[in-house]
Amino acid sequence: MVRFLVSFFVALLIGVGIGLYLGWVQFPAQFTNSDARALAPQYKDEYTVMIAAGYADDNDINGAVERLRILEVENVPAFVQEVTERYITNSRGVDEIQLLVALAEGMGRLTPIMEPYRQIRPAEGT
Amino acid sequence: MSRPNTLPKVDIAERYRRPRGGISWFGVILGVLLGAAGGFAYTWFVNPVVEFDTQPWQLNDSARQQYIVAIMLEYDHTRDLDTAIERLTALRPQSDPIQEVADIACALATSGYTSTSSGLRAVRAMMTFYRLQERTGCADELILSNSVAPTAVVVIELPTPTLTPPVTKTPTVEAVALAGATPTLFVVPTAPAQSDFEVANIPTVCSQENPAVIEVNVVDFNGQGIPGQIVRVRWDGGESRFATGLKPERGAGYADFQMEPGMSYIVDMPGLSDPTQPLTATSCALESGDRSIIGYRVIFRTLG
Repeated sequence: MVRFLVSFFVALLIGVGIGLYLGWVQFPAQFTNSDARALAPQYKDEYTVMIAAGYADDNDINGAVERLRILEVENVPAFVQEVTERYITNSRGVDEIQLLVALAEGMGRLTPIMEPYRQIRPAEGT
Repeated sequence: MSRPNTLPKVDIAERYRRPRGGISWFGVILGVLLGAAGGFAYTWFVNPVVEFDTQPWQLNDSARQQYIVAIMLEYDHTRDLDTAIERLTALRPQSDPIQEVADIACALATSGYTSTSSGLRAVRAMMTFYRLQERTGCADELILSNSVAPTAVVVIELPTPTLTPPVTKTPTVEAVALAGATPTLFVVPTAPAQSDFEVANIPTVCSQENPAVIEVNVVDFNGQGIPGQIVRVRWDGGESRFATGLKPERGAGYADFQMEPGMSYIVDMPGLSDPTQPLTATSCALESGDRSIIGYRVIFRTLG
C-alpha cells in the first residue's frame, strides 16, 4: 500500500506538471468573443491605420475618435501619437505614415518628427 | 504413520516478498492521468493564460463589426481589393466574407449609425465594396449610394407658339381656329436639380458646453461667410427657418439650431441646396469619458 501511495503521489506531481505545461504553453486556452482592447499590438496598429484612412476621406475627427475608443486605450490622441511615431521610427510605409500623421494632426498631436510627413490639406469649408 | 510435527515450510507471504521494483505501476499511471487532467483543467478553467495576443477573428460581434467597418474605410481610401479580402478572410468568416460585409452594412443602415456623415460614408464604402462583388443587402434600399442617380425624365406639355398666319384676302375660318391650339408633346430630359449651394461637409462635434447644436455656416467659394441666407431645419412634425449672420461674433455666415435629444433633423437652404442626411441628436463620449449629445457643423458652400 505504501508503495502504491508513494508511486501515486509522485506520479501525480509529474502529471500536474505535464498538465500545466500543456495548458499554459503547448495548448493554451483560445478565447473567442474578445473585446478589441485585447487585440495584439500589431492588429491595434493596423486598426488605427485603417481608421486614419477613413479620416483622410471624411475629415471627421470625432468619428475617428469614436472608432478608436473600442481599443479602450487610456488616451486616444496620445495612443495615435505613439503609433505614428513608432511607424516613423520603424520606417514603415510612407502612405501609412502620412495617414497617421494627418490623424495625429487632427487630434492636435503633431510633433516635430511627424512634420516631414505632413501633407497640406485644404482648409475646412473652402 | 505418524503426522509430521510441523507443517512443511511453505511461506504463503513469500511471493509478496520477492524482490520487485519499488514502483507501483498502477499508482504511477493513475497518478499521471489524474495529475495531468487536473493540471490541464486548472490552466483552462481556473487560471487560463492572460489574454493578450488576440487576433481579429477572436473579436466579439460588436468589435468584429467595427473592425470590418475599418477594413472598408481603408478599402474606400486605397481601393486595394486584395488587402481588403485578405483582412476579411483573416476574420475567419463562417460564410461568404463579402456577404458578411453586406449584412453588417444592412445592420448599420437600420441603426442610428448613419446619422453622422462619417457613419454614412462608412456604410456607403461598404455598399460600394459588396456591390462591385455583385452582392446585395438591405442597405441598398435604405441608403442612396454615391453613384449618380438615373436622370429623371419629365414630360411637359407645352402649347406650340404657332405664328398667326398672315392676313389674306380670303381668310379661311379653319386656319384661324387652329392657330395656337395644337399642343405638342415635348420630352425634356432633366439633369439633377441645380442648386446654388452644396453641403460641403458635416463634421460632428461632441462638446460639453454646446451639446446637441447644429452649427450652420454658409460660405462662398473662398470660404468667406455669407450673411442673410435663410436656413431651414425640419424635423418630424415641424420646421424652423432662420438667417445667417445674426451672431456676428461667430462669423458672418453663422447660424445655429438647438436639437432635442433623440430627434432627427434635416437641414437645407430652401430652394438653394439639397437637404442633408438626417442628423440625429445621439449620445456621444467626451474625451474625459463623460457623455454628451452630439452636435453637427453643417457647411453650405456656393457652387462654382
